[in-house]
Amino acid sequence: MDIELTINGERTRVEAGSAEDLATVLRQHGYIGVKCGCDGGACGASKVFVDGEVRMACGMAAADADGSEIQTVAALGTQDDLHPVQQAFVDNFAVQCGFCIPGMIIQAVALLDSNPDPTEREVREALDDNICRCTGYQKPVEAVLDAAERMQGEQSVAADGGRSVDGPPRRAESTGCCGGGCDE
Amino acid sequence: MSDDDETARADGGTASQSETVEDERFEEHPLEWDEPENNDKAPDERDSVSHRTEKYDDRKLVTGQAKYTADYEERYPDLAYAAVVRSEIPHGRVTDIDTSAAEAMDGVEAVLTPESDAVPDAKYTSAGQSYPEPSPWDMRVLNEHVRYIGDPIAAVAADDRTTASAAVEAIEVSYEEYDYVTDPEDAFGEDAPQLFEGGEVENEIVGHDYDRNRMAHIEGELGDVDAALDGETHVHETEWETIRQSHANVEKHTSLAYTNEDDRHVLITSTQVPNHTRRQLAHLFDIPIRDIRVTKPRVGGGFGGKQAMVVEPIPLALSLATDRPVLYEASREEEFYAMRSRHPMKVKAKTAVTDDGDIEAIDIYALSNTGAYGSHGMTVAGNVGSKPLPLYSKVPNVHFEADIVHTNTPQTGAMRGYGAPQGTLALEGHLDEVARDLGLDPVEFRRRHHMEVGDLDEIAGMMGGEGAERRIRSCGLDECIERGKDAIGYDDLEQPAADHLHRGIGMALSAQGTGVAGDELGAAQIMMNEDGSFHLQVGGVDIGTGADTAFLQIAAEVLGCDEADIVVKSADTDVTPFDYGAYASSTTYISGMAVKKAAEDAKERILDWGSKLLDEPTENLKTGDGTVYSETSGDSVTLEDIGYEAVYGDDEREHILGKGTHCTEESPPPFAAQFADVTVDETTGEFEVHELVVAVDCGVAINPGMAEGQIEGANHMSYEMAVSEGITLDDEGRAEVADFDEYGLPSATETPPIESILVETHEPTGPFGAKSVAEVPTNTVPPALSNAVRDAIGVRVREMPITAEKIKARLDERKD
Repeated sequence: MDIELTINGERTRVEAGSAEDLATVLRQHGYIGVKCGCDGGACGASKVFVDGEVRMACGMAAADADGSEIQTVAALGTQDDLHPVQQAFVDNFAVQCGFCIPGMIIQAVALLDSNPDPTEREVREALDDNICRCTGYQKPVEAVLDAAERMQGEQSVAADGGRSVDGPPRRAESTGCCGGGCDE
Repeated sequence: MSDDDETARADGGTASQSETVEDERFEEHPLEWDEPENNDKAPDERDSVSHRTEKYDDRKLVTGQAKYTADYEERYPDLAYAAVVRSEIPHGRVTDIDTSAAEAMDGVEAVLTPESDAVPDAKYTSAGQSYPEPSPWDMRVLNEHVRYIGDPIAAVAADDRTTASAAVEAIEVSYEEYDYVTDPEDAFGEDAPQLFEGGEVENEIVGHDYDRNRMAHIEGELGDVDAALDGETHVHETEWETIRQSHANVEKHTSLAYTNEDDRHVLITSTQVPNHTRRQLAHLFDIPIRDIRVTKPRVGGGFGGKQAMVVEPIPLALSLATDRPVLYEASREEEFYAMRSRHPMKVKAKTAVTDDGDIEAIDIYALSNTGAYGSHGMTVAGNVGSKPLPLYSKVPNVHFEADIVHTNTPQTGAMRGYGAPQGTLALEGHLDEVARDLGLDPVEFRRRHHMEVGDLDEIAGMMGGEGAERRIRSCGLDECIERGKDAIGYDDLEQPAADHLHRGIGMALSAQGTGVAGDELGAAQIMMNEDGSFHLQVGGVDIGTGADTAFLQIAAEVLGCDEADIVVKSADTDVTPFDYGAYASSTTYISGMAVKKAAEDAKERILDWGSKLLDEPTENLKTGDGTVYSETSGDSVTLEDIGYEAVYGDDEREHILGKGTHCTEESPPPFAAQFADVTVDETTGEFEVHELVVAVDCGVAINPGMAEGQIEGANHMSYEMAVSEGITLDDEGRAEVADFDEYGLPSATETPPIESILVETHEPTGPFGAKSVAEVPTNTVPPALSNAVRDAIGVRVREMPITAEKIKARLDERKD
């Protein structure tokens, strides 16, 4: 069937089999930051934003995404201009083989959007379905906490000390998307 | 043992360095090491080494742009996809394969069976080891005689994945079924079903007895253990059991094969061992080595599971049959039942200890279940003894023995730690129990006996033959213990207020090796570009560990340039020099030393050009900040100027090239001290691990940030071995695990915080003082957690995983 997707800001029509999952379709179109580690929603490596919600693309039928706006990790930052969460993962040595990292970064961005000042426990809970085999979770958790601090530091602070309403909007497209297609 | 060593034991094992070194029996292993002057830089002199340099590929990885094998899919529009038919019975012979329905399907390009021309008939081992492999050649690519549920029988290539899977479903296999055996103790019995006929296996391993399903038997002794056991009052014996642990690399085994424009066969593959894979494929397919190219893109984790040629022959055979590029990506289910796992083992430990608490003898016996085939079977079992036993190198009488047996169960192989986790559980759990029985503090008991600088590791000789002993030239165990104790709060533990909750701390020591002594090779070459930048070509294999970054730091330290001015290309057999591969904790030590030598070689030429351009003798010159400079005159010339001058300058032009090759008889152990803090509920057996602390002596950490990541990741994997069941099998040897949820990897909320402590020593045989870091923290959580539970509540769990049910059962036994 023919479906319409907006991927990292670029509107496109794609052909997808009725049983085909979203991860496969995205990867076929060059969005290789969507990883497949488990064949079905158990490792978190294929996480993307679908209309602003985190979904495991390998566990979702492509047809169900018809008309959706999708963001992959490539929408967050470029190599020269990383998203603060990406930068924090680099600076905290939270990346080894890197296969699980795109999904983990998507999840971390989603967490910090909804909870800019999470506790360590809250970070661990957010990452609970993201499997990392190389680094484990100590450094990724530290990276997310570090990113939270950085992102708060970047925002103007409202008079009551709370989060400014004119800070960056909650979704990632404003934080350095290269206009789509940067996933190669 | 010498008189000196007798003295050493009598005073509690604290022989001074000089006493031990004077021992003339071992003068062929001197403590002194002829270390190059520039290898031992003080920390403040290091410009690149010891810095938390950003990982070379990190920006690509965090933006999702790095390419792993499956990401090459888009480059080959004509790509076909492979799928494999696997045995559904534990043991038998295939009598018929009906492929007609599969072959008739639209989009099916080829169906291969053991009879097909493109399928090699030769025997081989999947173990990615040096040649000749210390593993038996007992496998074929596709099998008629199937030995476990998962053995490959047929393979399909189709236009897409869905068609390939459907074709596999359409193939009908008929079997003649044989009796099977899945328990290793039963398999060893005289009446057990036999997996291999005598003479059927090539490259047989020492101690094999296929009539009893034994693929190998190894044994070694120092002193006289039986006499010591007879003579002492305190003789303790315990038995331990470990799980069938999965590598669970998030990137599945993936391999893409095609024939290129030069009629050469190219494998883009997720491997730890490109050179071994090339050699093994050449052997299997009878293709000259030069006509095979194995290249590794980013690798999504290996942990030993890819120190094996697990999938590569399938896409190559299908590619030869179809004349198309073929991608084979194992399914996650196949990862659990048809790839590789850690050898499950039963290990017995026995000691004789004097009234004064001196250890007179240690005896370890391991029964290893190697599954249907023997890959890495003997060498992994050897490490059960050879890695942990040297921790107590002052013990005069030591015996180690192992039987490695076949069962009709999934294949085992190399896995991070490589036998040391099994041995460390048994030895460190056992000694803890001995100390407690004698009323001694387990930490102080270890301090009395553990290895130290100047000791000779005779276990290495016991296992590796005469002359294989090694002198210990760096050992930070005391500091590891001290800092670990402080970090966990060993001396001021507070008990919970509730009476039914009890808190305890367990500790365990560990030693590993750094490379395989006398059986490693790494090579590198470095080319200077005319702008003063460099290309580093190194056979060493980065599988996600950060090895490429470590190589850059080592090269930059020598060349006096920024890491960013060096491009690294690693592990492509057409481009990079030979390397044994990423295993045995060898990469930084062996391949890194080759990089250092290559950089030194290039530096020599650079200094000659600097001398010419500055008109000063080379003795006055140094490299740094992208220049060659003279401390005498203060003059300098940039590497860029030298680069241009060398290729475009006077008529003595040259392309500045450096090369380095490294092999060594040395394999210095890194050390670790692990602590686990646990609270146990005596009414339910439920427990909570508050924190894991692990202090590691890895020599000089080339990149401390990366080293911490290795330590924490290894400790996480070790924790998994302590608390999860691994791959469980049913009575027929069928894996009951098909996905991550069923496997039960501890998640972020289920994993306690891990504190890693780097204890820096200087290993004179390693590049800038480095030894290894990646494996030693994989060994320690099972014993430390078992010891912590024992400390908290007085009961002992010896069979992994440690569960609330098992603790409760022990508590109930105690009540009875």
